[in-house]
Amino acid sequence: MRRFDQLAVAVLALVATGIIAAGSLWLGGYDPLVAGAAMFQGSFGSGTAILSVTMVRAVPLIVTGLAVALAFRAGVWNIGAEGQLYAGAIAAAWVGLSWGNAPGWFLTPASLAAALLAGAAWAAIPAFMKVRLGIGEVIPTILMNFVGIYLAAFVVHGPLQENRGVFPQTDLISDAARLSILVEGTRLHAGFLIALLVGVILWAGLRWTHFGFQARSVGASPDAARVSGRIESKRVLLVVFLSSGAIAGLAGGIEITGVTFALYEGLSPGWGYTAIAVALLAGLHPAWVVFTGLLFGGLEAGAGAMQREAGVPAAWVSAVEALVILFVLAGDQIRRRFSA
Amino acid sequence: MTDVFAHLNGIIRHFGQVKALDSANLEIHSGEIHGILGENGAGKTTLLNILGGIIHPDAGSLEVGGSQVRLQSARAAWKMGIGLVHQHFTLVPGLSVLENLALGRRHRGHRWRLHLKEIRKEASELSKFTGLTVPFEASIEELGVGDRQRIEILKALLRDPQLLVLDEPTAVLAPAEIDQLFQLLRTLAEEGRAVVLVAHKLDEILSIADRVTVLRRGRTVMTAVGADIDTAILADAMVRSSSSDGDVPTTPDVLSVLGQGSDHSAPNREPGNRSVAELKGVDVYGPQGGLALQDVGLEVMSGEVIGVAGVEGNGQRELALVLSGRQEVASGKLQIPERVGFIPQDRNREGLAADLDLTENVALALHRDPRFRLGPLLRWSLIELHAAEIRSRFKVRSSGGRALARELSGGNQQRLVVGRELSRLPELLIAENPTRGLDFTATAFVRGELKRLAHDTAAGVVLISTDLDEILEVADRVFVILRGKLTPVPSAHDSREAVGAMMLGSRLEVH
Repeated sequence: MRRFDQLAVAVLALVATGIIAAGSLWLGGYDPLVAGAAMFQGSFGSGTAILSVTMVRAVPLIVTGLAVALAFRAGVWNIGAEGQLYAGAIAAAWVGLSWGNAPGWFLTPASLAAALLAGAAWAAIPAFMKVRLGIGEVIPTILMNFVGIYLAAFVVHGPLQENRGVFPQTDLISDAARLSILVEGTRLHAGFLIALLVGVILWAGLRWTHFGFQARSVGASPDAARVSGRIESKRVLLVVFLSSGAIAGLAGGIEITGVTFALYEGLSPGWGYTAIAVALLAGLHPAWVVFTGLLFGGLEAGAGAMQREAGVPAAWVSAVEALVILFVLAGDQIRRRFSA
Repeated sequence: MTDVFAHLNGIIRHFGQVKALDSANLEIHSGEIHGILGENGAGKTTLLNILGGIIHPDAGSLEVGGSQVRLQSARAAWKMGIGLVHQHFTLVPGLSVLENLALGRRHRGHRWRLHLKEIRKEASELSKFTGLTVPFEASIEELGVGDRQRIEILKALLRDPQLLVLDEPTAVLAPAEIDQLFQLLRTLAEEGRAVVLVAHKLDEILSIADRVTVLRRGRTVMTAVGADIDTAILADAMVRSSSSDGDVPTTPDVLSVLGQGSDHSAPNREPGNRSVAELKGVDVYGPQGGLALQDVGLEVMSGEVIGVAGVEGNGQRELALVLSGRQEVASGKLQIPERVGFIPQDRNREGLAADLDLTENVALALHRDPRFRLGPLLRWSLIELHAAEIRSRFKVRSSGGRALARELSGGNQQRLVVGRELSRLPELLIAENPTRGLDFTATAFVRGELKRLAHDTAAGVVLISTDLDEILEVADRVFVILRGKLTPVPSAHDSREAVGAMMLGSRLEVH
């Protein structure tokens, strides 16, 4: 019954978003049908679109979406996936470039492990502020995003800038450091499998394990968890916070080793923020995050096609993504009011 | 004194399943000080909030100045000349005292500008007149509770109310400040205003009130002229046994549960004479920093129910947390067994996680138990079985283990909490107001289970309750907690009147 309710909220939120999105296109003088067709064609219209564009775009959204979903489930409002993603990307690029001659079986995992650690380290600052000092995590995580974004900018203008010193980006990492391609002739890389694996681990972990149950309890009712006398809430919050940061960092590492092979300014178009929409639309459920991540990946993939074919600015898609968050939140409130 | 300012008649108000007010009446005369008394949960604050327009009644009528009104908001109440001083302060911490006084107050003729100067002038005149001195420039967070209370009262008086309603204003004031406040209230009444005052201490009310209304379980049980009554009459009206109200206990349902329970595999512990928990000279700090418990000594024996009676806020919370091992002691000796069951007073927030399902709520208490664990995994199938057994044995009416805790009624929620804690066969069980807000059947059930746990399984039970009837019905030994100190009640004196008087800090001789 609950599952059904959440699904209904998600579907209604999407329908409402669709109506408003179409209306705004019409008001702006575009033909919603032409734009919609172009968007579909560019995202799910062909095998190449699905494998090379949509699924590739979906990977960072799924992984950061999982990071956000994990944190939110435990009541940790980690808005800092963007910064954690950058921290992971910087670390992965640095490892990939520093040990360029190492063999692939070592280098790729090492790059991703570095990304995990860097993401966790980035989350550690707001996490300690929350657990030790009692400072709410929302603003610190948002601020750490800016630090992460500008640290990446600094790194590609300074210490890690390409040898020619022309563009604000790093050199390409060696072939050995790159994730393998899953389907010959497409851009779909092994990072997609990693995303699925993380999703399965989180799903099973939250559902079946001792720790996952503690995390859900702390999220569902901090007071009941504390008064039960059997849950060390602070430790649970800390572990969840750091894990969430690590997963968001992993998203950055996957992007470097699977898609761009180099770090540059503006690597992420705001995945860490879109991740919040991905996670909320999925009802914070790891298995559903995979689907909503693909949906948003398709949306972003289709945005390019829509701009080419129908002249709709790609930025319009960002507005649509934000609408989804608003409708999910509103729908959730309405559902609560009616079920209470 | 016959000029009726406000008249509340047959007020009914529910909060979810709980009836906070059950046809309460209150008549307030201009020029009088009207005291309101009642135990916790009797509905005092709800009634006051209805007067202040903050809560709307489900049924009943409210007349102000002879005509029927509906107070849709606090603003509407203000317009009718009713000023409410809240029990919990409503000052804005970031602002100065003056800015707080200016809140919600619009100066004549200046629709948009904030005229702090005029408000300051007005406030300092009023302050001089009333003797309520407050530092106008100070920021709220620098001030203690006494100052904050004075600011609240000043804020209310600035709007020139015809009826001033104060919810427990004396709780945070020192004796000298209370005298000063009472003098002020008297002056206000002599000006022809009405004053409604809630306080916990009977002698305080008697020293100031012209008339007194007593609420019990949401009903007005007495309204009398202050000069005609004494503390004994008031205490009796407040805590009189519920059976005299006509609620005759007829609960075959409960009895069958108790009978059924006895075949449960309780280890045959020998009853009595074994100490299960001990506190010696225990001091504990409260959330505000002061000592919430002072030099508390208590030995809980196996097979007995200890009742701790007291008016709320005298250290019960800390005693419960310390005994259940959930709070550190500042000094003194604490010895408690390994398996302690705890029934916290707020089942919705602390006893259960409202958004988790029933099975998960059972798991909340026993997921550390090695029987339900397999490495990092939880054995959910076993937990489900266990939870289903608790639901059937303790008659939790629900749509099944996947139902959310929030979907249950209060009584069923409490059955689940009690069942969960009892199923762990605790050596010591702490119950904090376990029947608050429950209907008769559920109340009898919970009380029966507490007794059964102590007497059948030889566990020690500590029942902390503000409900004196409950204490006297269930407990083998009775203590009174007052201002953080725990005092045993000699068994020869555990009459309702004697314990009630001790609870309220009245100086009736008991020993």
